[in-house]
Amino acid sequence: MIGKVLIANRGEIAVRIIRACREMGIETVAVYSEADRDALHTQLADEAVCIGPAPSSESYLNMQNIISATLVSGADAIHPGFGFLSENSKFAELCEQCNITFIGPNSEVIRRLGNKSEARNTMMAAGVPVIPGSKEPIYDMEAGAKVADEIGYPVIVKAALGGGGKGMRVAETPEEFENSFRTAQKEAQMAFGDNTMYIEHFVQHPRHIEFQILADEHGNVIHLGERDCSIQRNHQKMIEESPSIALTPELRAKMGEAAVKAAKAAHYTNAGTIEFLLEKNNNFYFMEMNTRIQVEHPVTEWVTGIDLVKEQIRIADGRQLSYKQEDVHITGHAIECRINAENPEKNFRPSPGTITDMYLPGGKGVRIDAAIYSGYTVPPYYDSMLAKLIVHAKNRDEAIRKMRSALGEVIIEGIDTNVDYQYEILNHPDFVSGNIDIEFIENM
Amino acid sequence: MNLKDMFKKTSGRSHYISLRNSHPEVPVGLLRKCNKCGAAIIAEDVKNGYYICPKCHGYFRVHAYRRIEMIADEGSFEEWNKEMEFVNPLEFKGYEEKINHLKEHTHLNEAVVTGKVMINGNPAVVGVCDGRFMMASMGQIVGEKIARAVERATEEKLPVIIFTCSGGARMQEGIISLMQMAKTSAALKKHSDAGQLYISVLTDPTTGGVTASFAMLGDIILAEPNALVGFAGPRVIEQTIGQKLPKGFQRSEFLLDHGFVDRIVEREELKDVLTQILEMHRAGGNACSGAEKAQDGSEAENRVPEHTSQSHDFSAHRSKESALSAWDRVQLSRRKDRPVGTDYIDALFTDFMEFHGDRYFKDDHAIVGGIAYFHGMPVTVIAQAKGKTTKENLDRNFSMPSPDGYRKALRLMKQAEKFGRPVICFVDTPGAFCGLEAEERGQGEAIARNLFELSGLKVPVLSVVIGEGGSGGALAMAVADEVWMLENAIYSVLSPEGFASILWKDSKRASEAAEVMKLTAADLKRLGMIEKVIEEPDDFSDSHMGTVCQDLDHDIREFIERYGKMKPEELTQKRYERFRNM
Repeated sequence: MIGKVLIANRGEIAVRIIRACREMGIETVAVYSEADRDALHTQLADEAVCIGPAPSSESYLNMQNIISATLVSGADAIHPGFGFLSENSKFAELCEQCNITFIGPNSEVIRRLGNKSEARNTMMAAGVPVIPGSKEPIYDMEAGAKVADEIGYPVIVKAALGGGGKGMRVAETPEEFENSFRTAQKEAQMAFGDNTMYIEHFVQHPRHIEFQILADEHGNVIHLGERDCSIQRNHQKMIEESPSIALTPELRAKMGEAAVKAAKAAHYTNAGTIEFLLEKNNNFYFMEMNTRIQVEHPVTEWVTGIDLVKEQIRIADGRQLSYKQEDVHITGHAIECRINAENPEKNFRPSPGTITDMYLPGGKGVRIDAAIYSGYTVPPYYDSMLAKLIVHAKNRDEAIRKMRSALGEVIIEGIDTNVDYQYEILNHPDFVSGNIDIEFIENM
Repeated sequence: MNLKDMFKKTSGRSHYISLRNSHPEVPVGLLRKCNKCGAAIIAEDVKNGYYICPKCHGYFRVHAYRRIEMIADEGSFEEWNKEMEFVNPLEFKGYEEKINHLKEHTHLNEAVVTGKVMINGNPAVVGVCDGRFMMASMGQIVGEKIARAVERATEEKLPVIIFTCSGGARMQEGIISLMQMAKTSAALKKHSDAGQLYISVLTDPTTGGVTASFAMLGDIILAEPNALVGFAGPRVIEQTIGQKLPKGFQRSEFLLDHGFVDRIVEREELKDVLTQILEMHRAGGNACSGAEKAQDGSEAENRVPEHTSQSHDFSAHRSKESALSAWDRVQLSRRKDRPVGTDYIDALFTDFMEFHGDRYFKDDHAIVGGIAYFHGMPVTVIAQAKGKTTKENLDRNFSMPSPDGYRKALRLMKQAEKFGRPVICFVDTPGAFCGLEAEERGQGEAIARNLFELSGLKVPVLSVVIGEGGSGGALAMAVADEVWMLENAIYSVLSPEGFASILWKDSKRASEAAEVMKLTAADLKRLGMIEKVIEEPDDFSDSHMGTVCQDLDHDIREFIERYGKMKPEELTQKRYERFRNM
C-alpha cells in the first residue's frame, strides 16, 4: 500500500496532489529548488526536500536527486504531476528499477506513446482513425495526384525535410493539386535541397477534442468524456471546457469508444488523455496520447464527480477502478481558465515578481487551484501559470456567466496577469455561441 | 510570510513505516559517482555518452575494449598477440599472483591491447593502454606487444594509433621495464623511417616512461581534454621542489600551450578527427600523384569559379600602378581590413586541420599551420597570421613570430616532407618578434635553421607574400621554389621606418625610404627576387577579395603540377640555384 508519496513537481499541481494525498491519509514529501523555498507546495507538504538550484535542469529535472530524495524520505511512490519528468520514460524506468511506484503508466508504454510514428502505427493497427497520408515518399506529380485521390481532398503537400511552413501547400480540389504540388516541391528543393514529398489529408479548422481515460492494471478501461481545448495560443491551451458543444451523444459515444480502444491497444494503465482533431463534418483523427494528468483535469472532475488524482494513486496501488463506464455521467458544464503571470499587451511576456495583494473569488460552483498567496514571489525560472479558475453550472451559458463573474473578482496585484484577456475571450460572440476552432485566438 | 507552521500536516502516523515487503532502493550498478564533480550519475548515461560526466563534462577513464568500440567500425577489430606468456624477469615475489588476480578481475591479458581496426573504412593498427591493469605500467609484455604491433604495421604499411595511459615503468620488472622505453621508441623510429604515420592520443593519466617514449613520438599528438600528462608525477615534483604546483599544471591544455600537443580532441569527435587524419595520409595522396588528381579535376572540389584573370583590364591597372607611390603601398599592406593569412586558408583550402606547437617550448599563435585539402590533395599550409581585432592581434603578437613559431613551421614542413605533401606558406609579418624571450630562446638560430632546412626540403615549397614581408622574419618562411607577392604587398630587408632611422637617423623619413628601398611587388619582380605578382582589385579587403583567390587557386594548381613532377634532387637543386644567383 502506498503510504507516503513524493511529489516531483511544483506549483498548483503539486498542491493539488498534496491535498488528494492528505484526504487519503497518505503522507506527502515535497521537493523544491532553491528558488522555491517559500513556494506553497514546499510549505504545505508534511516534509520538503531541496533537490538543487533554481534551473529546472538541475532540480525538477534532476532524476538522480529526486530518486535520492525519495529514498531518504522513505516515500514509496512518486507522483510526477505534469511537465518536468512526467512523460520521461527513462525516469519511470529508474523508478521501476529502484522499486519506487511511479504514479502513471509503465516506462515502456510512455516510451512507445512518446514516439510519434510508433504511436500512429499502434493506433492504425487498432482501428483508431489517424490523419490519412501517403505511406511512401512521393517524388512526382502523377503519383502524388493518385495518392491525393485515395486520401480525399483537401490535402496538404509537405516536404519530407520540411519545417517553418516552407515546401508546404494545400490543395482544396484535384484541379489545384498539380499547381500546389509543383510549387511545394520547387520550394522544398530550394530550401532543403531535397524534393521528397509527403501528402496528408488537410484537416480544416479543427477543434481540439481530448478524451480522459482511466485504466487499471486489471484490464479495465473507461473514458470520462471529452474536453474541448480549442482555445489555444501557440499550442498553449488557455481555456478548456467539458462537455464540448460540438459533440452529440452519438459522436461522444463513438469517439469515447475509439479512445478506449486506443488506450487498450497501447496497454495503457493509469490516467491518460487521447487527443483528437475534430473536423466540422465530424471526422476525427488521433493526434497523440498524453501519459499523465492534464492541467485541465478539473473540468472533467467536475462534470463526472470523479477525483482523478485519487484514482491515479489507487490505480498505481494496484486496485481496481472504482467506476465502470455506465457509472460515468456527464452533469452540467465546466469551464477552466488558466491564469498566467504574463502581459498580453507585451506579446505575453512572462511577468515574475512579488504579489503584493490578492483576492480570489469563491462561491457555489467556483474552484481555484492555485499555488500563490499574498506576499509570494513568482520566480522567473518556471512556467508562468499561477492558478486555474474553474466553474461549474447547469449549462454552458450559465457557466460562461459564472466564469465572467468569477474572473471579474480576481485581483492579483504586483505582477501582470492575463485575467483581462481571458475576460475578453469570455465575452467574444464566437466563444459565447460556441463557434470555435484551434485558430480562434489567431483570428480574434 | 512563513505559512509552514500554520498549516496542519497529515494526521495519524508521525513516522510512517512502509507496510510493503520490499522497500525502494537503488540497485547496485544503476548509479555511479563522478570522481571529478562528485555527482551521482546514471551509469547508463555515462556508457552511452562516451564515458563523459553529463554534469561536469569530466572524462571517465575508458577500458581498452570500450575505447576500441568508440573509434572502430563495428566488428572490424582483429586482436593481435592476445595471449602472451607471463614473465617475471626479476623473480619478484608475489608478482605472478598479482598478475593472475588482475587477469581474472579485468579479463585482460596485460595492460595493453593491440590489433588492427578499420576507422570509417581506413585501416590502422591500434594499441590501447588499460589503466585497470597495474595502472598500465610498462613491463616487458607491454613493450613487446607495442613493438610487435608497430613492426607489423611497418611491414603492412599501416598507420599506428596508440592511446596512451600509464603510471610509467613497471617496478616489479626493474631495469627490463626501463628498456621497453628504448624498444618501443626504436620500433617507432623504424616505422617513421619507412615513411609511415604514427598518431599518439594522450589520455588521463600518461606519465613516466610512457610519456618519455612512445607517447611523445607521434607525427601527430592528440590529447583528450584535461588529461594529466607528464614525466614526473605532480606529487613527486611538489615533494622535490617544496612548492605547490599551479592549477592546470601538466594537463593537456598546459601541454598544448607549451607546444607538445597538436590538438586537444573531445571524445565525441575523436573518431571523425582520426578519420580525417588517416584519409589525409592515405597512400597515394603525395604531391606527384596528387597533382595528377588535381589536374583531372574529377575528384577536385571546384569551389573557386573558372580562372578569369586574363580578361582583366590591364590599362586601368597600369594607370593605378603609376598613381600609387611606394609609401602608399606600404600603407596599403598594413591596412586593418586587408585579408590575413587565415582568410586565404579559408578561401583556398578545405578541411583545414590546425596543428599546434614546436615540441620544445610553446605554441606560437603568430603562426598558424596544419594540413588541408587543395582540390582533394593534402597539402601543408603555414601562415603568418595577423589578427582582425586588437584582442586577436595581442594573441597573435601582431604576427611577429617568436623562435617557437619558426620551429613549429619547420616541424610542419619536415612533416610535409615525410609524407610528400607540398608546402604553401603565406608571409605577412612586420618582422620576427624582437624581445627578451625571443633572444633567450634563440631567434637568430631559429630563423637560420629554417633557411638551412628549407633549402633542402624534398617537396615543393611555395611562398606568397600577402602583406608585409618584414626582413628575416619573412625570409624564414620564404626559402621557396617560387615566391609570389600580392600587388600591394611589400618585402624588404627592414621596415622603411627602421631603414630611415638607421641610414638617416630620422624615422619620420619613412615615406622617402620606401621609395628608395625598392620594396614593392613590381620592384621586386623587376629585380628578379620574385616570380609572380598577383593583381589586387580596387578596395581590396577581407570582405572583398575579388579575383585574387581565383587567380591564386589557378596559379597554385599550376605550381603544384609543375613542381610536383620533379624529383627531389631536381627540386632542391633548382631551389639552390634560385638563391645562389641572387
